[in-house]
Amino acid sequence: MRSATLPRASRRRGAFLLTLIKYAILVMVAILCLMPFVWVWSSAFKPSLEIADTPLSLPREPTLQNFANAWVQGRFAKYFTNSVIVTVPIVGFTLLLSSLAGYAFARHYFRGRQTLFFAFLLGLTLPFTSIMIPLYYTLRDTGLLGTYWAMIIPQTAIGLPFGIFIMRAFFQSLPRELEDSGRVDGCNEFGVFWRVMLPLTTPGMVTLGIFSFLGAWNSFLLPLIFMQRESLRPLVVGLMFFQSRYTRDFALIMAGATIISVPVIVVYIIFQRQFIQGLTAGAVKG
Amino acid sequence: MSVRPRSLRHSWRRQALPLLFVLPALLVYALFVLWPFVNTIHYSLTDWDGAQPVKNFIGLANYRDMFADPLMWLSLRHNLIWIALGTLTPVVIGLVLANLVWSGVKGRTLFRTIFFMPVVLASVVVGIIWHWIYHPLFGPINVVLRNMGLEQVARGWLGDYDWALYALLLAGLWAYFGFCFVILLAALQGIDMEIHDAAMIDGAGSFKRFWHVTVPQLAPVLTMLTAFTLIGGFNVFDIIFVTTKGGPANATDVLATYTYRQAFTLNEAGYGATLTMMITVLSLVASYTFITLRERGQ
Repeated sequence: MRSATLPRASRRRGAFLLTLIKYAILVMVAILCLMPFVWVWSSAFKPSLEIADTPLSLPREPTLQNFANAWVQGRFAKYFTNSVIVTVPIVGFTLLLSSLAGYAFARHYFRGRQTLFFAFLLGLTLPFTSIMIPLYYTLRDTGLLGTYWAMIIPQTAIGLPFGIFIMRAFFQSLPRELEDSGRVDGCNEFGVFWRVMLPLTTPGMVTLGIFSFLGAWNSFLLPLIFMQRESLRPLVVGLMFFQSRYTRDFALIMAGATIISVPVIVVYIIFQRQFIQGLTAGAVKG
Repeated sequence: MSVRPRSLRHSWRRQALPLLFVLPALLVYALFVLWPFVNTIHYSLTDWDGAQPVKNFIGLANYRDMFADPLMWLSLRHNLIWIALGTLTPVVIGLVLANLVWSGVKGRTLFRTIFFMPVVLASVVVGIIWHWIYHPLFGPINVVLRNMGLEQVARGWLGDYDWALYALLLAGLWAYFGFCFVILLAALQGIDMEIHDAAMIDGAGSFKRFWHVTVPQLAPVLTMLTAFTLIGGFNVFDIIFVTTKGGPANATDVLATYTYRQAFTLNEAGYGATLTMMITVLSLVASYTFITLRERGQ
């Protein structure tokens, strides 16, 4: 109100100042977000002595020695392989089981549908902590504990509620006529699902795939408990033990942190549109 | 098939076939989520140590012990501090930043990409990064403080009884506010601009418009974010376990780290299960309260 009485020039100056403050805040927050990444990634290329000497500067004599040490002596080669071995089937099974169930929940009426769907929804609010202790002993008693399955199956299971929720929404958005045209063309029920409907939910599967990948790759408490054997450790757990063993060698730890974070950031940057769309669609509408 | 009456074929198709689609997921989910949860309730009523062949039923004794356990209360207190500060702050920061970006800036996508980057990082990596940032000797924070001549302010942040929890909270905030920002920005882009313009014509200033027009329209999303953060707050584990393991002297112990020690270091499967029941009940109550609130609001 008061601004209306001010001369036009000073009002324009005020608007300019506001814009300046706005950008200043945003840029500052962006720097705070990026700085730790820059520190970690640049430290990974520093010789150990330099990092203790000048922790904040960019590397003077960049070296790949830290990566070589982490990869070979730190057994990151093994941990990386383990992470890939568990993540690929987790993503695959999550996509397959979620789309099958999501399709039935979205496109079919059957007795007990509501009850079953509610049972899956319960899993959205049930934290992993609630099931970890009995699950550990079940896996031990069934002999799964010393195998990759001890991570693959439970991680898939806890991802199903979210997966079914997402896939159901995507199947619901497809028009009814498609299904019928598939039937007319002589597909059986599975054929309708597999050849007609599923290909149309590719955006949904990409979104779910990314979530599932990030969840599995970054998962910590689950493999900490279920993958205790050193030869089974995925990267994240490997890095934690690595950190407590080489507490003084920061350059080495930072090389390890870089090995874990780069694939995640690359996937995020490539798929960020789908990722953020999936995230916000679920949150804002759901 | 062809000799069967049509209706039977129809009902097979309509009843059993969809169940076949659901069955694989249901089997995995029931065996590896629902059944263990039922077992958690069972374990919490026993004094099982993970090794005995039989699980002795001891009624509610574990629950009585838990309510008399000072470490449980201390851990819960830390969870509540984590929730109080760790819920409000990122939502407020996210809301302010989302408003700034929404009001029209160049490079909106770039800011969004950057603000969200910490969110996709594994919490173990977040913990390790901040463990280093807080390092007493060559952590960047202390280096900067010393260069500014503030030697007496510099300390081993994560080893300091009074500061450790708050130092970790700051790390958690760094890794989480981008999530709130992205959700709120999307919600802002979906709000009804007509009311906004009407308020502007009526002479409402930008703060008034924000408070009386924007915030009410964001209410459902804000409720969802709060519920989400609450559940996260009762379950926080990774970042604490990687950096301080609950120390120094339980200063950063939360329910999940305390439970982990009881269940997997001391093998107290029964008591550990009782502690997880505490986490479960708190998480479920928190989420259902907010879902109910939200549905009433709509």
